[in-house]
Amino acid sequence: MKDKMIQVLIEQSSGTISRASYDAVHCARGISAGDSERVGLIVASDDPAPLARKLAAETGLDVTALQSAHLASSEALKQALTTLLLERPSKYLCLPHSAAGCDLAPGLALRLGAACITGVESVRREGEEVFFLRPVFKGKFYEEVQTSPQTTVLTVLPGMVKDVRFPASPGEVTVVAAAAGGPGRIRALGRVAAREDDYDLSLAEVIVAAGRGIGALENLPLVEALAALFSRSALGASRALCDLGWLDHKHQVGITGKTVAPKMYLACGISGTAQHLAGMRGSPCIVAINRDPGAPIFRVAHYGIVEDLTTFIPLMLELTEGE
Amino acid sequence: MKILVCIKQILDPDSPLTLEKSGSEVIPAGKTPYRMNHFDEYTLEEAFLIRDAFPGVTVDAISVGPARVQTTLRKALELGADQGIHLRTAGDQLMPVETAAHLAGYVRDQGYDLILTGAMAEDDMAAQVGPTLAELLDWAAVSFVIAEKLSPDLKSIYVEQESEGGLREAFSVDLPAVLSLQPGINRPRYPRLSQVLKARNQHLTVVAVKEAVDRAVQEASRRFLEPPRSAAGVILTGTPREKAARLWEIITSKALEKRHEG
Repeated sequence: MKDKMIQVLIEQSSGTISRASYDAVHCARGISAGDSERVGLIVASDDPAPLARKLAAETGLDVTALQSAHLASSEALKQALTTLLLERPSKYLCLPHSAAGCDLAPGLALRLGAACITGVESVRREGEEVFFLRPVFKGKFYEEVQTSPQTTVLTVLPGMVKDVRFPASPGEVTVVAAAAGGPGRIRALGRVAAREDDYDLSLAEVIVAAGRGIGALENLPLVEALAALFSRSALGASRALCDLGWLDHKHQVGITGKTVAPKMYLACGISGTAQHLAGMRGSPCIVAINRDPGAPIFRVAHYGIVEDLTTFIPLMLELTEGE
Repeated sequence: MKILVCIKQILDPDSPLTLEKSGSEVIPAGKTPYRMNHFDEYTLEEAFLIRDAFPGVTVDAISVGPARVQTTLRKALELGADQGIHLRTAGDQLMPVETAAHLAGYVRDQGYDLILTGAMAEDDMAAQVGPTLAELLDWAAVSFVIAEKLSPDLKSIYVEQESEGGLREAFSVDLPAVLSLQPGINRPRYPRLSQVLKARNQHLTVVAVKEAVDRAVQEASRRFLEPPRSAAGVILTGTPREKAARLWEIITSKALEKRHEG
């Protein structure tokens, strides 16, 4: 096993690599300035070798397969990663900014004496210096952080990239047995069966989505009327709107909701947090209507309209009446 | 059983904000209010729901920061917290690891069984305080919790963690533990008038704390920026009616199936 400057923890569930993991690899590639020799992947489970070989072939990167019975427990995984990284120090450890990644990162950083930067969206290099850019204040501003010379543990926001292939020959796989130990104080009970989901956002040609910026529940019918102009449309929503109870969570678009890419995405009163953008920025035509010209949604929108929805949507509906 | 809820006071991200000239901080542009982090409202409510279900449970609210955070702690008392604790710092801008270190310093001998935080704060969006605090206390921690159920013997708690695509992973967690909760886990209540009046005269415990962390270990520099410019977007101009007409043209040009055709 060669020493790597940057390690990436790959998240998997029954052999499938999580989408967020690709963003973590992409971030590592940014830190390394494209030098794949300096990037290594870590995959951890009770039987990691098959996935490790697949990853090594797909990405061309070297993979460490961390093997132990209890790695579904975040405590056991944290301990195994600490041991591995103390033996094989890396300058950067990239994790997906997922629930599991956020469980691990701060504790790992403390144990490794490392800095911890969470929710990183992109990397900027200036010579040998590396800067991390992360959204703050719901995406209205960004924070640029440069860490001190030792180790940095990062979590990387998902949704920016779809695929990461390094044009190279397959990487090397090293299997490492983690010290045996119990599951600790957090016992994994498995995935909760998904509830009946009768609303399919993925089939829609047009998604008209509402956010907290619609102002009041009474304005929701306006958004619904806009959606009703199209025969293959669906009603989407931001997490904030669903948390208010104005629409059910089955309408939610974003990291913890659905990921969609309809022909047209019409965002009404959605500010555009990183969590929401991750779920819809792949749409080929994004239209944003929002009263706040500073709303981050305008940065991904192909067409932006700075207007109040309660006056603008009725104008739209009026126009189409004659059609 | 004692529950502690960690509350953060933030500059309202939905009000006008601007950057201090050197980019060292985000500051109000006008009368931007400080308010409770929305995530923490759900967290407080969840603690109240546990208290409603289990007699003998107490819910304290704690906040770290300068004197101004007391207004937000008072709000937690109005909503129904039993006690408010203010860990007063000299500085204004704390890194998550500093906040967690202050909390850990206070919590250690206070006999809490469960600490709840919001999944993240809307200002720094770091999602670090909960898991960092747990690491410092050597307690168990679970982030992004979307459902919980305390065991009848009060020794463990069942939690569901929300992951990508809204999938849920279930865990059984030994107490004491730190849980970071997702919004949407409940519907926060409105304050009752009687509680609001009572909170007015309620005593706050104030503890002055000293710097707890060597910042240099964490980072070499930090600055705030305007968001990166958009690549290709067009902002439509004209009267509202003209914009509506232009949008309709755009929609028509995309050859989408409209209702009257289908």
